[in-house]
Amino acid sequence: MARVDFHDQISNNKWKSFFLMAIIFIVFVLLGYVISFAFEPGFFFIIMIISIIFSLSYLLISYYNSDKIAIASVGAKKATREKYKQYYNIVEGLTIASGMPMPKLYVMNSPQINAFASGRDPNNAVICVTTGALEKLEKRELEGVLSHELSHVANYDIRYMTLVTVMVGMIAIISQIFLRSLWFRSGDSKNNGIFIVIGIIMAILAPIIVQLVQLAISRKREFAADASAVKFTRYPGGLIKALRKIQIDHFPEEKKVNKAVAPLFFSNPFRGWGSTHPPLNKRIEVLEKM
Amino acid sequence: MALLWWLLGIFLLIVIIFAYYYNRFAVLRNRIDNSLSQIDVQLKRRADLIPNLIETVKGFAKHEKAAIKAVTEARKALVSAKGVVDKVKADNQLESALKTIFAIAEGYPDLKANTNFLELQRELSSTEDKVAYARQYYNDSILTYNNLYTTMPGAFFAKLYGKKEKEYLKITETERKNVKVKF
Repeated sequence: MARVDFHDQISNNKWKSFFLMAIIFIVFVLLGYVISFAFEPGFFFIIMIISIIFSLSYLLISYYNSDKIAIASVGAKKATREKYKQYYNIVEGLTIASGMPMPKLYVMNSPQINAFASGRDPNNAVICVTTGALEKLEKRELEGVLSHELSHVANYDIRYMTLVTVMVGMIAIISQIFLRSLWFRSGDSKNNGIFIVIGIIMAILAPIIVQLVQLAISRKREFAADASAVKFTRYPGGLIKALRKIQIDHFPEEKKVNKAVAPLFFSNPFRGWGSTHPPLNKRIEVLEKM
Repeated sequence: MALLWWLLGIFLLIVIIFAYYYNRFAVLRNRIDNSLSQIDVQLKRRADLIPNLIETVKGFAKHEKAAIKAVTEARKALVSAKGVVDKVKADNQLESALKTIFAIAEGYPDLKANTNFLELQRELSSTEDKVAYARQYYNDSILTYNNLYTTMPGAFFAKLYGKKEKEYLKITETERKNVKVKF
């Protein structure tokens, strides 16, 4: 079994996610290009402006409030230091190991073992853990989970994924506007025809493709977060044991969790849903090589 | 005069690159200094917890003079140590003296059950973790610095700006051996 260095794992996955992001960007540009041939540039320009306004507003609002939105959507409560000493001690140790400021700590009521982190940068970060995790995990396992969450903050994953979501959103909006506007086209010159066909195909496929790419990016960032977690604790065993506990933990689907927040969680709160996280087996396999 | 603009642009780019590397070395150096002082912060917290612990232990087991003395001595050594290597060595001494005290406490059920004692035990354990993390981060920040120092083009700028390679915080072989708990 070849050993994997967590430093390499971190940088490899960051590069992969960067290239995947570039793919989304290329799709975006191509889509715009094709549409601009199908329509007059002026019309296309308007489409671009509208989509940019929508996406930018969404981006700014959700980005600046990502921490509050995430916490509110799952009904998490602030964790007091008196009641959650171990939780605070563990995270404090990790902030020393990572050189990061202390995030705000929250707890959410759920029997599942899970946790998430949010916030646009390390100075505005929150970490939330479930009561199930606090009860069922040993200290070093909990430390592994919290280290993974802190890694998301340290790697600016929230910012990154928001960016990706915005680009994906813009592509979806442009495609929608394009497809709907086809109804209102007046009879134009024929040599636009081929581009209209290509445009339609792209407008249908592009949103699907970039959604899949978005999920792939999310999975790469998850691998990077696992590796960063090991970088901070220098003990893959804790995280491995926690993942194994999650594997055998059976619970009915969490109704409280909003689908939009799901990607933030440590492991899929929905079983058998889309794969924002790599399969637990694969994660354990990689960690065991460190 | 397009050539002039090009030359200006290239000149600007070069200036930016030189500035970037200068700044990067400065930032990494500052990070190392900061992480060093973090180790100090945690060591101080440990030292501050000891007097309270000693008083609590004396309240239940004041005949255990040797063990109590060992902890008091170790704390004194820690507080007066200079330089991070000596401080860490002193902290290792303190940790082994504490292990003895906690082992002895097993024989005093009243002491073992005392909430103050338990609280201090927990605090000391968590600060020991934090000292370990602080040392780890110190070494990590040195790694980042050395990586920049030894790779291109950082190496070129390092020579230019007269930077030196930094040393890791090492543990000597004797300390690596398992510390025995003495009764």
